[in-house]
Amino acid sequence: MSAPPISDALYDELVGILGAENVLVDKPARYNRTRVPAPFPVHRWDDHVPDVVVLPTTTDEVVEVVKLANRNRTPIVPRAAGTGLADGAVPLRHGILLDVKRMNRIRDIDMTDRTVTVQPGVNMLKLNEVLQPYGVFYPDNPASYPCSMVGGRIGTSGWSLIGARYGHTKDLVISLEVVLPTGKVIRVGGGAGGKVRKSSTALTLKELFFGHQGTLGIATEAVLELVPRPEAEFAAFFSYSDYDTAYRSCGALSKSGLATLAGVVLFDEWKLDYLRRDDEAYIEQPSDVRCVNAVALYGTDAEVVPAARRVMEIGHDTGGRYLGDEVSQGDWAARHDRYAIPLHGRLRSSGQVVPMSWHCEDAALNYSVLPQVREEWHAIADRYIEGYGIFDDWGMFAYTNGSHAPWGDYLVEIDIGIWEQKLDDENWAAWTRCKTEIAAVALKHGGSITACHGATRAGEVDLVPSELGGAFDVMKDIKRLLDPNNVMNPGKYLFDQAYE
Amino acid sequence: MAGVARELPNGVRMGHGDGQVNGGGHDDGHREFVETWRDTAYGCFSSGHKFCRNVCPVMQVTRNENHSPTAFHANVVAMERGHLTVADVAEDYVHCTQCGACELRCPNTLMAGDFYRARTRTVDVVKAMRAFAVSQGVEQPNWSRWVEATVDAKNEPVLDVPVSQANVRDWAEDLGIPTGGSTLLFVDCEAAFYRTSLPRSVAQVLRTGGVEFGLMAEQWCCGGPALEMGYPEAARTLAEHNVADWRGCGAERIITLDPHDYISFTEDYPRWFGDDYDFEIVHVTELVAELVRDGKLTFTVPIERVATYHDPCRLNKRKGIHASPREILRAIPGLEFRDVDHVTQWSYCSGAGGGLMVEKPEITAAISAQRLEHAARLDVDLLVSACVWSERPLTTAGLEQDPQIEVRDLMELVAESLGLHTAGVRREAAQQ
Ligand SMILES: Cc1cc2nc3c(=O)[nH]c(=O)nc-3n(C[C@H](O)[C@H](O)[C@H](O)COP(=O)(O)OP(=O)(O)OC[C@H]3O[C@@H](n4cnc5c(N)ncnc54)[C@H](O)[C@@H]3O)c2cc1C
Ligand code: SF4
Repeated sequence: MSAPPISDALYDELVGILGAENVLVDKPARYNRTRVPAPFPVHRWDDHVPDVVVLPTTTDEVVEVVKLANRNRTPIVPRAAGTGLADGAVPLRHGILLDVKRMNRIRDIDMTDRTVTVQPGVNMLKLNEVLQPYGVFYPDNPASYPCSMVGGRIGTSGWSLIGARYGHTKDLVISLEVVLPTGKVIRVGGGAGGKVRKSSTALTLKELFFGHQGTLGIATEAVLELVPRPEAEFAAFFSYSDYDTAYRSCGALSKSGLATLAGVVLFDEWKLDYLRRDDEAYIEQPSDVRCVNAVALYGTDAEVVPAARRVMEIGHDTGGRYLGDEVSQGDWAARHDRYAIPLHGRLRSSGQVVPMSWHCEDAALNYSVLPQVREEWHAIADRYIEGYGIFDDWGMFAYTNGSHAPWGDYLVEIDIGIWEQKLDDENWAAWTRCKTEIAAVALKHGGSITACHGATRAGEVDLVPSELGGAFDVMKDIKRLLDPNNVMNPGKYLFDQAYE
Repeated sequence: MAGVARELPNGVRMGHGDGQVNGGGHDDGHREFVETWRDTAYGCFSSGHKFCRNVCPVMQVTRNENHSPTAFHANVVAMERGHLTVADVAEDYVHCTQCGACELRCPNTLMAGDFYRARTRTVDVVKAMRAFAVSQGVEQPNWSRWVEATVDAKNEPVLDVPVSQANVRDWAEDLGIPTGGSTLLFVDCEAAFYRTSLPRSVAQVLRTGGVEFGLMAEQWCCGGPALEMGYPEAARTLAEHNVADWRGCGAERIITLDPHDYISFTEDYPRWFGDDYDFEIVHVTELVAELVRDGKLTFTVPIERVATYHDPCRLNKRKGIHASPREILRAIPGLEFRDVDHVTQWSYCSGAGGGLMVEKPEITAAISAQRLEHAARLDVDLLVSACVWSERPLTTAGLEQDPQIEVRDLMELVAESLGLHTAGVRREAAQQ
């Protein structure tokens, strides 16, 4: 085995802080913490390999490692589950990879004030297994619910499939402890960062620490919301023979005003084509099923039973055909696995099945622009499919996006398959151009590049200054203030410009 | 949901990355290995969603991504690209019990598997990597000693005292079981030497149920552990002897009492011996459930205990056998059975399988401790398993619980409820 690329002195210091079992320098440890599930430039793997991996278990250990990195000007990148789709946990400058998976304690379950306090390496599914006997749950429910972790949910400011009812990550994390890039520890949240949900004391700093992709510090503890387990869960899938009807119906459902509405999801024609073509779990539907809306309700029996009747009325009245209980309940229950099935795509030229990686563009867009963006995005995808022979269009979803306010904007996802094995410099450059074009369409229509994953990927990151305007300058000032030596996940979000 | 599986067009196979292989400087073994496993590995690499991680027993306790199914696949891709060698990764592949949970939990198996006639094959990748490592001279010290001792004594060194062919039938000394016959009982090494209460129970239960059976003329280790540790030739030699012995005995049906043997006889042996291999292989839980169902076994002695059942990984996750043991437990009078469904148990394991216990006993112990914590939450005083290999570490972990939780094999319980006095040793428990 080859020698580790860090000095003996640095290694010894890290071992002094963490113990040898928590400092990994072997090559597989480093190569396996280089990538996330997003399409990865396999041909440039070496560019992203960290020099050393550390696995702390306590805040104090994180503090000491961060101080060491700051002193030595060594880049340090936090990684939770490594499921992020914006390359946030991919090191751009090597250095120390701080993996929080061994920070997985559940510290306190407070049934009186309804909070649970956890370390960042806790996964939501596992947390809810522990919470089950208490009759409560933590409702941050992304499609990556079985695998992502609280630290990464904070780092990306995640979006939850049932966020219209319960809120998204930033709403569900009441307060958090953060180790800043200098090693200073702060708590942010209402007031002193305890269990208070709303406070007006001075500046609201909490949201600053959501979605920064590990560039402003490392979350080491979080106080999370506990919600009563819903007595009733209702899901209905409606089909439509054309997009316009489905789009209007989606609008009517999301504007219904039902407080138990957890989300509405619009599947476009490309998505239906893809499911017909390549999805085992797809139940054969008549060919005039071209688009689908999925609706879910969560709450007490007293709320959900009448609300479900209302949903059925709206669905029918706006041209939807109910797809039946089997599809509705089965598909909703399988929502985490069901639509995250990259595995394989097809080449347009030959129909050949090839292993493809999944790119999920996730713009935030207002309801009014969904039809137009859809056409422009598919047209872009089509050009790249024709031009390069390594892409596939897996269709689009539009999910209600606002916390408790599902009517105005959507997380709009186009899923594009990419044959990673074929990536070389030319194809990778084409791919990043494709992403830039997709993001530019979102901005042109008054949207945001990303609703949940973050805009740290090559391609779209270049458009961040134009999305944010003057706010981007303030962002750079904040970054420089908190991270004077640019050690925290350097290279992300064009923050190098803050130090020029 | 009802799947609509379809054939791929024109018999198209999953494609592969041509033109980018960069195994630079490696020998043919390396190239052959990555070419064989690259496409399987890419099925995961291109997804990489890590849904499997939370069901992986090893990951749950080490929390080290090196030990994840995702890494086991990604390493192959990294080897293809020339970034890693088998020497770099071999030790990581020790961290797998080959329980199969990751394959079941993988959305690529669950949601796309039938469609593409493909499933995620992590266990095969792990086995292949271990064998490749050994072929390249990268051996794990305890495994190489274990296999060497197995080859020498024809039985696994499950005890500190010598284990030998001369006393492989000692457990049956006073039972008068004939040699040979059309049905044979295959007694796993751990059962034959370490936990003799199990084969004694099985033998007497079968006899009570009217099943005629004999023992092999000369039983050798099934070869499964050697194969799992990366020594296919040694495994094959043992297997060839056993099959020849079965033929010599005129056997048609083999009853196994250990799930690991069941895997060897239903997966490895048929692959090695082809169409000529026409033995019926039965696991004892399936047979006993049938005898109970048919009224050939009737439980008479109440067992006043509060119990839960541990789904052995190889029965539940790899073979889909989870109904028959529950059926048996529900038929035992007096027993209060607090069940945890078999899907939840995808993430449970004893940690004993796949050679982990031999090479990394501390990880096995941690996995068993976690399994007993699940049991303790149910307020039970008894954990029933159906895998003799799991019972040693689970017993140790059960004794550490407060209050203690006893670990028994299902067949021991069956014998007791039938009023049989089986005797034999349950060592760990006896030592306390
Ligand atoms: C199949 C699949 C489905 C998905 N569905 C959704 C979905 O529905 N909604 C959604 O929002 N996302 C989804 N994602 C994306 C991903 O799961 C989320 O972005 C998730 O929040 C990432 O969490 P993680 O633990 O994997 O973080 P990582 O990928 O490890 O890290 C994400 C970012 O957070 C930073 N970070 C990690 N830990 C910390 C910490 N302790 N403090 C500060 N920063 C930290 C990292 O540096 C990185 O920039 C999906 C991904 C997959 C693979
Ligand atoms: S084994 Fe399956 S679930 Fe696990 S990372 Fe690979 S593709 Fe995903």
